Amino acid sequence: MTTHIEKDPHSGTETTGHVWDGLRELNTPLPKWWLYTWLACIVWAFGLMLLYPSLPYFTGYWHGLLGYSTRTEVMQDVAKIAGQRALVMDKVAAASFEQIRATPALLAEAQTAGRTSFANNCQPCHGAGGGGRPGYPALAAGAWLWGGRLEDIQQTLQHGIRSGAEGARDSQMPRFGVDGVLKPEEIVQVASFVMTLYGTPRREASAETVAAGAALFADNCAACHGEKGQGNREFGAPALASRTHLYGDSFEIVQGQITNPHMGVMPAWGGKLDPATIKSLAIYVHDLGGGE
Amino acid sequence: MSDAVLHGATLPARLPRVDYNEAVVRKFMIAAMFWAVVAFCVGCYLAAEMSWPAFNLGYEFTNFGRLRPVHTSAAIFAFGGSMLFGTAMYVVQRTCRARLFGGSALADFIFWGYQFFIVMAALSYVMGFSKSREYAEPEWHLDLWLTLIWVLFAVVFIGTLIKRAEPHIYVANWFYLAFILTVAVLHLGNNLTVPVSFWGAKSYALFSGTQDAMIQWWYGHNAVGFFLTAGFLGMMYYFIPKAANRPVYSYRLSIFHFWSLIFLYIWAGPHHLEYTALPDWTQTLGMAFSIMLWMPSWGGMINGLMTLSGAWDKLRTDPGLRFSVTAVGFYGMSTFEGPVMSIRPVNALSHYTDWGIGHVHSGSLGWVAFISFGALYYLIPVLWGRERMYSVKLISWHYWIATLGIVFYITSMWVAGIMEGLMWRAYDSQGFLQYSFIESIAAVHPFLVIRLVGGLCFLTGALLMAFNMIMTIIGPRPALNAMPQAAFVAGE
Amino acid sequence: MKTETANTVVGICMIPLGLLGLLIASRALDAEMSVFGYGLILFAALFGFSLIKDHYDRLEAAPARMPGADHE
Repeated sequence: MTTHIEKDPHSGTETTGHVWDGLRELNTPLPKWWLYTWLACIVWAFGLMLLYPSLPYFTGYWHGLLGYSTRTEVMQDVAKIAGQRALVMDKVAAASFEQIRATPALLAEAQTAGRTSFANNCQPCHGAGGGGRPGYPALAAGAWLWGGRLEDIQQTLQHGIRSGAEGARDSQMPRFGVDGVLKPEEIVQVASFVMTLYGTPRREASAETVAAGAALFADNCAACHGEKGQGNREFGAPALASRTHLYGDSFEIVQGQITNPHMGVMPAWGGKLDPATIKSLAIYVHDLGGGE
Repeated sequence: MSDAVLHGATLPARLPRVDYNEAVVRKFMIAAMFWAVVAFCVGCYLAAEMSWPAFNLGYEFTNFGRLRPVHTSAAIFAFGGSMLFGTAMYVVQRTCRARLFGGSALADFIFWGYQFFIVMAALSYVMGFSKSREYAEPEWHLDLWLTLIWVLFAVVFIGTLIKRAEPHIYVANWFYLAFILTVAVLHLGNNLTVPVSFWGAKSYALFSGTQDAMIQWWYGHNAVGFFLTAGFLGMMYYFIPKAANRPVYSYRLSIFHFWSLIFLYIWAGPHHLEYTALPDWTQTLGMAFSIMLWMPSWGGMINGLMTLSGAWDKLRTDPGLRFSVTAVGFYGMSTFEGPVMSIRPVNALSHYTDWGIGHVHSGSLGWVAFISFGALYYLIPVLWGRERMYSVKLISWHYWIATLGIVFYITSMWVAGIMEGLMWRAYDSQGFLQYSFIESIAAVHPFLVIRLVGGLCFLTGALLMAFNMIMTIIGPRPALNAMPQAAFVAGE
Repeated sequence: MKTETANTVVGICMIPLGLLGLLIASRALDAEMSVFGYGLILFAALFGFSLIKDHYDRLEAAPARMPGADHE
């Protein structure tokens, strides 16, 4: 079709004269405010490019008039926060646990530091408030594997458990089933006995089974877990004659644990947190309710 | 000779009727409606998982990580893609006055091949196969399949443009063409991966580290720019003037904002990687280009809204047009929000928070879905030869429920996002973090629930629409002389 | 190109496509490739049949028109 320019009766603007499927276009000039706002944005954008690192060239890039760098900025922020923290944390670092305990103001600050560090580092495994989860000890319940005094907690935090770090707490439970130390039926017997220590004996287990299990327990388990299943913190061997169980309450879990034991790992926080923070964490964890 | 004079110049004459391929468009519209409902259902389910993690159900198939790409792919590629393919094929035929190039089998192959891609991709996500590239999760073999479909789509579209009977190419087709060509380049660049074996699905990206992240966001940002913006602007440029029966506001503006939009969009990807290992200079460029992009984006909004001047009264009687106009409003809002969020200090607050989710949804629900609904409400009666939709009242209901849903969605995400941003950066007087991460999760929980309510509203609206669509299609055909004028070629 | 010719070309392309699916399904190393291979076979077969059906539907609908006289 040929070009046929018309005047739009509503706006009084001319069309371009093209028609597609009944659609037409007006030849309205660019809105002024649109054009000027856009030009302002372009000026702003080029201003940013002038002030900040922007255009690259073969051997480097334009660093900008302000000499800005995100890395420098974050270093400054971190240094500022570290300086703010040092006011308190240097005092915590210098004081002994007894001195911190004796100074209420210092104790409150250490607990605050401990609370935030715990929430950001420990909570994912040990749960809010140290409630624990299967495989992760309940810190508030006082079921300590390696000791619940301030110094014990501090050492565990610093070096970790089976972390591979120097000074880490370490022990191995034998794989009684996988390595063939005990036969499957013997494992059932031992586990049935352990259930009596738990205080929830199995109904299916006969008296003979439990008795056989007790004998096997004395030979194989008592060395670490104690004659009465009271546990041994020297090896981090959990107390079995207890209501708090690390991996769970059921017979199947005990059976599985004897056959092919889980052994938890805790990281060595000494490489990540400074000594004053670890000290604060020890105080916070200790005061969750289970401290000794 | 007198015949030719009559035809060409002065008198409005009916042009010879072209036998358009509308069958394939109808198929795409049905698919779009179906996938919209699927995408919104999965979205609501994911919102429930975010609010109550128990909804993960403990199966790997229902895990958030596997369902999330099902939602995004269903919304963007299945619903949005079917709308774009279908309307592009409709608009290019009408505005070129030419039947679709390549024959009906090729068009049907594109339709079924694309649906095959979508189903295969969704299956692969649920089975745990993913390239782990956002919005490009399908593994290499599906990428190759999509490439085939895409090339054929380009051939059909460009072929139709070439054999057009109109002397000029309508603006909607520029946008559709930009969408087709650029998405092809993005798809090929971003999905360069090395398969472990020709007979296995697993592959590894060709790039690594920061370069890989930059390629990913060059793609990710321009998937928004060219799939969800340029493509849908093409839709807007046809269906708004058509439904309003008004000329496009400014031809000059459409030229200006088209070229500036496609030139500037492609550079703005780095704003997704501010405060990361990406070099500072790249971050600044991403921010600067985002700021320059604001007005070019708004050019489309102005052209859409101003086209209605002289026809605003139509909004009262045509709720379908109300969808299109509201869509343009949301488009303007989110294309303003985007550059603001790209400014480094703002980004420091907004990045990684729910604000980003809200921003994406004001674009996807408000703009992409609404402009599609507007187009669908126009197209369904035309394509099936009905006088109007089964119920105009239901369209109104859909409009208000969906709008309410969007308002719930984006306001709750704004509040949640700003709250998260502020909580994460809060230090106490001693220099310790005030809150742990989990406390910020607990704090936004009510807003996540409100978001779910918003999503359910939106889903309800879509179900009303699906019902309305089905009733229109199975309803009685009007007598031939009562057919809407749009079903014929309008020629003057 | 006449529509019927173009449609025939597309239909013939379904043969190698289905065979490719067969090859992939037979050699697949993982579940996803297996599903994809079977999917391709099914897709090619169904699409090929639908083209044949469409062809005869058109013949029935317009008995007076020759199959090749469709629009270009």
